[in-house]
Amino acid sequence: MSSSWALGGPAVPLVVAAVLRRHSTQRWYAVIAIWTSLVWLAVGGLTWHPLIQGRTWAILLDVTNLVAATSAWDSVGWLREHPRMAPHRYYGWWSLFWAALLGIALAHNLALAWLAVEFSTLTSGALIIEVGDRHALEAAWKYILIASVGLIVGLIGLVFLYASLQYQTLGWATLNYQNLHGQFPHVAPIIRTLATVFIVAGFGTKAGLVPFHTWLPDAHSEAPSPVSGMLSGVLLGLSLFTVVRFVEAVPTARGVFLSGPHLLTIFGTLSVVIGALALLVQRDIKRLFAYSSIEQVGIMAVAAGLGTKAALSLALLQFVLHAVIKSSVFYGAGHLSVMYQTQRLKKITGLLARHPAGAVWWAVGILALAGLPPLGLAYSEWLIFRQLWQHHAYLVIGLVAASLTLTFAALTYHLMRNLWRDMDALAPAAAASEVL
Amino acid sequence: MNDLGLLLFLLALGLLWSRTMHHTVWFLAGEGVLLSLMVWTSEPVTAVTVVVGLATLVVKGGLIPGLIHRILRTWPAAFRRDHPLPLWAYGITVLVVLAVSHVIHLLGPTGVIQHALLFFYALASIHVGFVMIVARRHLLSQLASLVAIENGLVVLAVSLAGALPTFIELGLLIDLGIAATLMVWMSHRIHQAMHTTDVITLRRLRG
Repeated sequence: MSSSWALGGPAVPLVVAAVLRRHSTQRWYAVIAIWTSLVWLAVGGLTWHPLIQGRTWAILLDVTNLVAATSAWDSVGWLREHPRMAPHRYYGWWSLFWAALLGIALAHNLALAWLAVEFSTLTSGALIIEVGDRHALEAAWKYILIASVGLIVGLIGLVFLYASLQYQTLGWATLNYQNLHGQFPHVAPIIRTLATVFIVAGFGTKAGLVPFHTWLPDAHSEAPSPVSGMLSGVLLGLSLFTVVRFVEAVPTARGVFLSGPHLLTIFGTLSVVIGALALLVQRDIKRLFAYSSIEQVGIMAVAAGLGTKAALSLALLQFVLHAVIKSSVFYGAGHLSVMYQTQRLKKITGLLARHPAGAVWWAVGILALAGLPPLGLAYSEWLIFRQLWQHHAYLVIGLVAASLTLTFAALTYHLMRNLWRDMDALAPAAAASEVL
Repeated sequence: MNDLGLLLFLLALGLLWSRTMHHTVWFLAGEGVLLSLMVWTSEPVTAVTVVVGLATLVVKGGLIPGLIHRILRTWPAAFRRDHPLPLWAYGITVLVVLAVSHVIHLLGPTGVIQHALLFFYALASIHVGFVMIVARRHLLSQLASLVAIENGLVVLAVSLAGALPTFIELGLLIDLGIAATLMVWMSHRIHQAMHTTDVITLRRLRG
């Protein structure tokens, strides 16, 4: 990948963060946002050819820069709303987090991807710590600990794989996806299975796949909203696509027990089901979207588990649409929680009367997330169903379809409560007027 | 090298068993010294092995135990001790260590294991670290478990592949150094905000 120069983008915000330490003016926030947008446009322009060819790394790179740019713009408002946050520290960690995300998107080597994913844990964890309240500290502790343990499990898989192939004396290039593609069949079957299980579980922890997801709702709900957008919209997808790249590089016959595609299908289906069920009982606006992310990543994993070129393209399409929608919704949730002085869903009501224009955008975002046609996710989800049908994955279709119905019901229920007055409060009033 | 592996395994057991956080500091420092010795003795001495060994000594033998020691000094005595290890943890530890022999038996025919005894100590240390992370309740004990698991992993790599590529070894050291610094900083802030070092009290976020 000749686009490693794209990693230079976060250097400018890092320098500006150092300037902010001495001269903290809000003008600098806009400078960072403008720079990030320019980086997105420039990288998009320079990588247009692989982009229109549908090359995975180019799509991941450009989506990462796009969400970083929107996050930078949202940070301008968010920092104004949160004057206690030290801007130089916020932007310092934010730039490093962006760099880590770019590192994951560009990594052509499993070990390199591992280091970048772990670095993303530490930098985003630091951003959660910077929030500083009790909830944030608790969330950051769980996040760093659980994600690190998960990634160590992944590293054990990498060590086994490296040990089995070290006769090539290629050093760390042994773990290049291209090299793995050619050499994986020479690895002993038991090591192949062990390494695959460990690597899928390890990176799956960072992708938020069930049952390794326990850190996710806490971390995503307590992070600053512009960071939640990047965590949910980009990091989860990038971690999943690290698994997908590995699974793609080490092809196994379809239906092999504990093979990469098999594990992706199992964990993906579980994530869709658990994510959808959890949506019904959420009381916190950002936790609601965190569980929605688990469900969405599950759909991507199910598609990737099919292993065909068409299904992988659909997983990528789902990633792109989800990244744009989910990050926007998280930014909106952050501003709503400031407007209402709470993250409690039952208190965020009457938006239509209070802020009609915002309410329309909010409704479009939630309905897109719920999968309402003709909004984007409905299209990609429908095509994924078609792929599942063609591969006779009827059990998965049944479970995912039921879960998506639940998701639609849960998200539209919460949306209606957001838009109009508290319906629970209205019910006794209506009953009282009937009696009178 | 097997002797160093045995010592590391014993230190991992010491970490699991000890309730006094100051002992934890010494056990971690000991593991750091052993690992740097292992780097220097497992391969012919070159500029690269000298650098990796020194970096290991600085990060694992100095920085991490030093940070923990520094933070402990500022806390009252009540916060420098962990809760007793639950009884089930002893049983599980014995079981997981015994299970390692079975893993060696399974992997034997693949020829991937270069040093079987060292592999035993490494995998057993990793398992002990996992038991510790679940059974121990002090914030800094959990950090120590994470470091112990990572140390066991380095020995596992030596037993399987001789060593990891330099790039990965240095990357891991930097990563662990940053992670430990963040976690010590977090422990301090959790202690300040909640007046506790017990992870059981971190239960506000549920559902």
